[in-house]
Amino acid sequence: MSNFTIRSEELAQLLLEADANAAIKWSNQQIDDGISPIDFFNQVFTPAMSSIGDRFSRLEIFLPELMDSAETAKEVSEQVVQIRLNASNPDLNTSRGKVVLCSVKGDLHDIGKKMVNLMLQVNGFEVIDLGIDVPPREVIHKAKEVGADIIGLSSLMTTSMPYMKETIELRDGFGMKGKVMIIVGGAPITPEYSREIGADAFGRDAVEGVQKCLELMGVVT
Amino acid sequence: MRMRHRSRLVEVLDRAENGPIMDEADFERGVVTPTIKRLVKQYSIKFDRQNIVPNNDELADRLFQAGLDFAVEVGLFCQSTSRRMLWSRQELIDGLRFCPSEAILGAGNDAVTVLARRPEDTRRITVVGGAYGVPVPEHLFVPVMYSYAREPVVDVLENATLETVYGRPIKADSPWEVLGGWREAELSFQVLSRANRSGMCLGCVETSPTALAEISASSWGGFRPTDWHHVATISEFKTNYDNLEKVVHTARIGGALETYYNPIFGGYVGGAEGVALALTAAPILLNQANLAHTFGTRPDHPFLHCDTTPEILWALSFAFQALSRNSNLLISSLAGPAGGPGTKTMLYELAAYTIATSVSGQSMIEASMSAGGRIPRHISGLEARLCGEVAHAVSGMSRGQANELVQQLIPHYEPDLKTNPIGKPFEEVYNVDKVEPIPEWQGMYDEVYNELVKMGVPLGRNVL
Repeated sequence: MSNFTIRSEELAQLLLEADANAAIKWSNQQIDDGISPIDFFNQVFTPAMSSIGDRFSRLEIFLPELMDSAETAKEVSEQVVQIRLNASNPDLNTSRGKVVLCSVKGDLHDIGKKMVNLMLQVNGFEVIDLGIDVPPREVIHKAKEVGADIIGLSSLMTTSMPYMKETIELRDGFGMKGKVMIIVGGAPITPEYSREIGADAFGRDAVEGVQKCLELMGVVT
Repeated sequence: MRMRHRSRLVEVLDRAENGPIMDEADFERGVVTPTIKRLVKQYSIKFDRQNIVPNNDELADRLFQAGLDFAVEVGLFCQSTSRRMLWSRQELIDGLRFCPSEAILGAGNDAVTVLARRPEDTRRITVVGGAYGVPVPEHLFVPVMYSYAREPVVDVLENATLETVYGRPIKADSPWEVLGGWREAELSFQVLSRANRSGMCLGCVETSPTALAEISASSWGGFRPTDWHHVATISEFKTNYDNLEKVVHTARIGGALETYYNPIFGGYVGGAEGVALALTAAPILLNQANLAHTFGTRPDHPFLHCDTTPEILWALSFAFQALSRNSNLLISSLAGPAGGPGTKTMLYELAAYTIATSVSGQSMIEASMSAGGRIPRHISGLEARLCGEVAHAVSGMSRGQANELVQQLIPHYEPDLKTNPIGKPFEEVYNVDKVEPIPEWQGMYDEVYNELVKMGVPLGRNVL
């Protein structure tokens, strides 16, 4: 096992313990001890986050632990990673992409979408979660406002699926096709339906959703 | 039907207006999760793979107390008012004392009486068959639903979800939702007419994500008070005005009301232990909030999309024993196999599920949300036949024997759960004109039926 692997596992453990101060202190120490900020980000921080996502995908940890870990990781990112990276290279962008996420109008299911949100975060995406029951116009407006790369639409109800189509039509109508990708998912959504309404990708669950978002961003995994 | 508790309707609504204000995220993460974790530890609740059907009354009673504690401490959260709806321990206990211990569903010769049951009970279980919200096109709605209605073992019919209405998409919270609800009613009555079961109870309104379709289509000319009107719970432990509007409407039309709570395995309530506790607490709370006759559940695995994993089966069996030993609540569960029609995987899943839940005191078995309920048209009436037959066969069976059967069945399907065994759509496993299983599907059913008999499931007995 390489030094980086050992360290990423140590960081994953600290994130799971949700002790932000300890994780921040440990991360600063690693960089002070000689790991370059970019190596820390690529070889320690990112694999640690992926490891936590993998554990959730195997349900070795549950949603509350995933949420705690993601929040702790966010603090490490803001208070250590970004500061150290900016100091060495101010132009470096570590985000794998910006995702606007929601359950579409008429759908009040939140937990599956929240799982997708957290899995995206631990895999390096910036996520703007608009919540549940979100009308198409609001989604498009927010995507424009924040310069989203991807819009993620969730629906667990057949009666909300038409709002996915409407959102895609609005995106295309506003000339955003090709600029903002749309991924859809949720219990009744099929790859066929996804293609039929013009979505760019379909995710069967949180794990596949992240995989597809990485592919949309051109990240080879 | 004894609905003495519906006198509390206004008092319920008051709680949604006057309870303590709280942020929704704080309720989920600051109240639900820590309370579950603390009570699981405090009451030493522990998943036991060797006893998927537990056989320990003391443990079951302990789980009931944990569920009652949770109900008192957590209550429900009303999204529409950002308020918690709380009840005292005594109020919850009184609610349980006066809850309906039986309910009549349907009318005339087609009426069935749902009975409170205990673990290992010999009293008759009620069998609900239907496509449970699985999307079907309009032209297939009648044949699909008739495939359930034609089964003598099915007592109550549960509708599919229409994909479209007159060829147009059904949009939530729009005129299309209202029209969809009415179309569902019209087509349902065609099904009952074809089956010569005009008084048969219908689970409804399936196409009602908001209160619009329920309130509209459950009126004159549409669904009847003798039908089974559904009110959901928003996971975890949340409600809203739409749900409460359905409660008010159903109470005022004198309708039979079913409420359900579907926890997410691995979500805010955690793993098997948390799911068991949540499943115990939810009906206690929903008895207060939704004034229901019956209390259903369909826990969900977030990656396998089923409720037949050993952990979830254990949670269901354990919670149902806790509830049925300590209350007269009419509890039920919806089988949600990962497998779909045309697979033996699904039949093994359904058998294990039905055995584990039915010997644990549930009043109704609901069958089924095949292929996880996710795939359009992947459902058929044969699933309900199997669940109904097995549920009656295990009437009076000991929990020990049931556990042995479930332990035998799990290896038959568990390795397949990750393979997405969705099977085939209805039109490929049934002759659509005759509405009969094709020989291949019927043959598969017969093979599994005979295997179950060899395992010791006493299928084919006279039904009480």
